[in-house]
Parts: sequence; C-alpha cells; structure tokens
Amino acid sequence: MIRATARKICMLGDFGVGKTSLVARYVHGTFSEKYLTTVGVKVDTCEVARPDGTDCKLVVWDMAGRNGVDTLAASYLRGASGLLMVADGTRAATLRTALDLLMQARAVVPEAAAVLMLNKLDLIEHWEIEPLTVAELRNSLPVFETSALSGDGVARAFATLTAELPA
Amino acid sequence: MNDLDRLRQILLEEDRRALAAAAQRLDVAESRQHGLAERLPQALEAVQSGAQRERFARAMAAPVASALGNAVRGNRHLIIDALFPIIGPTIRKAVGEAMRGLVADINQALESSFTLRGLAWRVEAWRSGVPYAEVVLKHTLAWQVDHLFLIERASGLVLHRASAPELPALDADAIAGMLTAIADFVSDSVGRDGGDTLESARVGEHVLWLIQGPRANLACFIRGVPGSALYARLQERLERIHAAIDADGASGELVASASAEALDLAALTRDAATAEPRRRTAWWPLLLVILAAVTALAWHLLRDRSWETRMDALRTHLGAHPGFVLTGLDDTRRPAVVVHGLLDPDAAPLEPLLAAMRAAGGAPQLAVQGYLSADDAIVLRRARRLLAPPDSVRLTVSGGVLGLEGVAGSDWLDTARLRAPMIAGVREVRLEVAPAATPADVARAELEQLSRQLPEIKGVFERGVAAVPASEAFVDDLAERLRGIEQRAAVAGVEVTLVAVGCNDATGADRTNAGLREGRGAWLRSALIERGVPAALIRVAGDTDPDFQDRPLERSAYIHMALSSRP
Repeated sequence: MIRATARKICMLGDFGVGKTSLVARYVHGTFSEKYLTTVGVKVDTCEVARPDGTDCKLVVWDMAGRNGVDTLAASYLRGASGLLMVADGTRAATLRTALDLLMQARAVVPEAAAVLMLNKLDLIEHWEIEPLTVAELRNSLPVFETSALSGDGVARAFATLTAELPA
Repeated sequence: MNDLDRLRQILLEEDRRALAAAAQRLDVAESRQHGLAERLPQALEAVQSGAQRERFARAMAAPVASALGNAVRGNRHLIIDALFPIIGPTIRKAVGEAMRGLVADINQALESSFTLRGLAWRVEAWRSGVPYAEVVLKHTLAWQVDHLFLIERASGLVLHRASAPELPALDADAIAGMLTAIADFVSDSVGRDGGDTLESARVGEHVLWLIQGPRANLACFIRGVPGSALYARLQERLERIHAAIDADGASGELVASASAEALDLAALTRDAATAEPRRRTAWWPLLLVILAAVTALAWHLLRDRSWETRMDALRTHLGAHPGFVLTGLDDTRRPAVVVHGLLDPDAAPLEPLLAAMRAAGGAPQLAVQGYLSADDAIVLRRARRLLAPPDSVRLTVSGGVLGLEGVAGSDWLDTARLRAPMIAGVREVRLEVAPAATPADVARAELEQLSRQLPEIKGVFERGVAAVPASEAFVDDLAERLRGIEQRAAVAGVEVTLVAVGCNDATGADRTNAGLREGRGAWLRSALIERGVPAALIRVAGDTDPDFQDRPLERSAYIHMALSSRP
C-alpha cells in the first residue's frame, strides 16, 4: 500500500482549553475557524523537523472541544498517527476530560502516539493542577506546560510528538 | 415343535433369513440416518477443504438451484425479506447511477439542441461533415480538471495528487483533510444507514466530485461543466488503483505507479473526451428552424407586397385627385399611414377617398397644407364660387381661359366683368353673355308689335256705315288683342292711344264719304267699348286729322295704336 508522506495529528481537549490558540500559533492556517462550530473540526498543516534532520508534514485536525468521543469524532480520529491532548492548567477538570478523551481515542487509534499539553502557562499562579499530579502523568506520557500566549513549550510538544510517531 | 411348525420352518426358512437380513440393513440405515444431522456439517466442511471441492460444487449446483427455485416459488416473502437489505441499496445505486448519467446527457442534449449556440454547432457539423456529437464535445469540453487527489479513506491524508500545471500551489493535505471531515460530517448528518456519502458539490463554475472507494477516495476539482464520461473514467481509474492495492504481494512502488498512471490528467481528459457516445446527427431541429424562418420570410414578403400594392393604389388615387398634391406617404408605423400634401380649398374633400382606402390600421390620417391650384377643374370651381353665375350662364375653363356664355342680367354681367380676370389661375376671360331683357322692354316690344299688327285687322263695310254681320268677327279679334292694354302700357312705361279709323272707296260724294268715314270709325269704337276696351283709350280719327289723310280707298275701319312716352 502506498503511504502518505504526511501524518495525521488530532488535537483533543475540553472546551476553552486553548487548542485553537495553540494551533494558530504553530501551524499554517488554511481554513476559517468557523468550521469548528459548523463541521466540528478544522484541518491545518505544519512542517516539523525530525530528530534525524528530515522534515515531517503534520496534518493537524483541530477538533472542537468536547467531553467524549462520539460517532462523528470517532470518524475524525480514524487514521490518526498522533494525539495532542490539551488541558487548561487553571481548571483541573479539563485534565480529567483530556485523560478521558485519551482513553476513548485509544479505542479508535490504539497505535497513535500521544502527548499532553497543559496550557496557559502564563497563568501559572492560578493553576489548579498540582505539580505532583504533573509528575505522575509524566510517567505515562510526555507532558508539556505550554502557553499559547507566549508560545512557550508548544514547539517542543510538536517536536516530541513528531519524534514518537509510529513509522 | 410340532410337525406343522417343522414343516413351516422347512418351507419358509429361506424367506425368514432374507427377511432378517433386510431388517438388519434397515436398522443400519436408520442408525446412519439418525446421526446424519451431526455429521453433515463436518462432512461439508471436509469437502470444501479437500480435493473434491470442485466436484462437490458441480454436483450440488443442480439440486441447490432446484431447491432455491422451489423456495422462491413456495416462500417468496421469506426470500424477499432475506434479500431486502442487499437488493434495495444495490438497485438504488444502479438506478441512481444510470439516471444520473441519463439526466446529464439529456440535459446537455437539450441545452445544446434548442439554443442558438446549439444551432450554430449543428451548422458547423453540417459544413465540416463532422458528426454533431463531436462538435458538441469539442465545444462543451470547456472543462478542466484542476486538481485530482487520491485520499486515504481512513485518515484523509493525500496518497497521490495531480494538478494542472498553471495553477498556484495549494495545501493539498489540509484541503484533503478538511474535505474528508466535511464528507464524514455530511454522511453522518444526512446519510441514511451510513451508506450514503457526499459525491459532488458545485460552487460557481467549479464542480467537486468525490468518488468513494473502500480504501481510498478520489477527489476531483473541475472547472466548467464536465460530461458523464469523465465520471465513468474516474471510477475506472479508482477501481484500477484498488485492484493494484488489493493485489497479492503489491508493493508500494507498484501502487504508486498505478496511482500516477491513473491520475495522469492529460490522459484522463483525452479518454473522457473520446468516450462520449456518438449520436446520430438529428437534422429535424435545423430543418424545423429553417422552415419556420422561410415561412416567416414568405409571410413577411407577402404582407409587404400587399402593403406596397395598397400604398401604390392610395398614391394613384391621391395623385389623380384634383387640387391635391401628394408630397409623401408615411407608413413607418404600420398599419397607420399619414398622408402629407398640399390641398386647394376648392378641391373636393379627401375624406371619402381615404375612408374607402381604410385598412386594419384605420383610415389614413391627413397632414395637409393649403395652396392655390391652377388645375382647370379647380379654377372652374373657384370661378363658380366667386362669380356665382345664374343658371343661364355656362362657365368653362380650358388652359387657363375662362369662358362665360349665356344670358344674364346687366348687374351680374357688370360684376362678372370686373371679377373674372382677377380669379387665381385665370389668364384670360372670354365673355359671351348677352344682357337679359327687362319686363318693360318686353312689354314695349309687344306693344310695338301690336301696333304694327292692328292696322291689318280691318272690318269690311257694305254701303252705309253698318258693318257686315259676317265682318264683326274682326271686332272680337281686336278686343282680344287689346285686352289688358292699359297694364301692358304701364309696364312698358308708355302712353297708349287707340284711334278708330274709318275708310271709304273712291266712289261717292266727298261729304257723303266723310260722313261714312266718321261713322264707320265711331261704329268700331263703340263695338270695342262694348267688348271691354276702355273708352278713354280710344277715339275716332277726325276727317282733318293730319295723321290719317292718306287713308286706303276701301269700305273698311281699323284701329291705329300710337305709343308715346309717359310724362
């Protein structure tokens, strides 16, 4: 079977955690954000350098915020090589939602690589997520504190995910 | 055992053994039949995997077909219910594809057949000898495949792509991903039973076809209006790609090669262009249009000719109308007609003529200006209007010469003599009108004539003064001629004097004769007075009256009438 040169990445997370802001900062936008509220997803692309020096094209599916993987979301997840889970550090509940979404997404794409982005690092003084919790999470999957406002941690998260994508 | 039993044993021993053997075989068969249900699936599975598979299939074909036929005949509803989930979508899909292609072809044929553009194409096909279908194809192939994406069905990632060379670069991965998401969204939103998918979309002059396959989809971005052949070719190419993907031992290079070949835009366009079905050129639309055009032209020419004939007739009648000069006929707003010209006030009115020439647009309208005509007929009408001649005068005009003939009173004659030369169009007057007599003149003439006649009416006397009775008839004649003499004298404006003159022959003495002359004159006067002649008017001529000295020598008497002017 001929394989595509690009890789499909799905970005999942609760409402208002900053997925679209992260994508807007990092990827090459082609479509309007109105698709998020109409179709439920917006697809953009970006070029990320692999550890071996080659470039990898990521096709990022920014999926509208949701609490669970329904039928439509499942169809969007099909064929994904990587999962970008996003939570809001200032709202602990969004971390539980992100982890729940990760479990559900694994049922659809069990082989996909995953990283967790704890967003809104610029509001660290208001975070509800305890550092101990973050440390425990790092034992299960790569975790990055990011800020869509400043861009801190975003590039590293994408680079790590790219490096861990299955061949 | 008694003898009877022994005998029976001897006679029936052989039959008993045969019966026992048959019963044993029956038991064996029943025992085999009893376990058949458990053994049959296993046996069938063994046959399917063994060398006897083909033989078994051939052997089972006939009984299975018969059994299926019996089942269809006997349990029709059961079979229909069982096949319904399969047959329904299959039939729908087949009919839908066929109808879509048919409708597209019909639409294209109709659009091209009944338009000016379609007629132009038919003329081009007729002139060039190329089938109409090819001409239509040449012109309707105003489409171009801008982009062709082979998209992995599961992930929405682009497996292969081809784009027209002149187009700007685009993010194919993002577009393919978004397209896949939208297709999934549409399918999940409005698709029935998950089987219906987004197949096409149209935006302005662009058409998007999304041809679905089990492993990959083909997205085709087309500019223009493509025909159904292109869709069929794309389906064939997608099937070839899937055949390469599904082939045993297919390598990535092989699939990539098949994909590249399938997505060759130039070859795809060429195949689609030549795959259009060739239809026999139908000439009836063109013939129908030509027939309609010829009919319309003939009708127009006939109507135009009829109109021109009518206009010529109108022009001829107006040109022959005395006192009217036609300067133009305006028929630009048919059927309304406006007549322009110059009209003499003495010409006969044009309205009756125009009313006789009325048509669908009504009688022609008049737009005339006044002028004076030198036409003889009009000059004659003008002379009659200005001179108002009596019935006894006849007027003629010829070459501008006005002729007046007849009798007329002196007053009219004086006026005519002054006015006639001044009438417009008259260059010469020929006056031949005699002045008419007055009653006085007539009466005077009659009296003069009577005065000449009276001396000839004489009475003859015998001897003496008494008239011969037979001669008294002249007295009656005289009285009749003198009746109303006073009135006639008054009309003539004269004084009348009647003198009764007596005469004698040469014989006799002078005194006697003088007496006879006076007596005979007196007798005549008296006789006339008796018959109504006014006595004041009549006297007897005296013997010394100088006017009657030379009297005829005969025995007679007569009346002399003298006329004199009234004081």
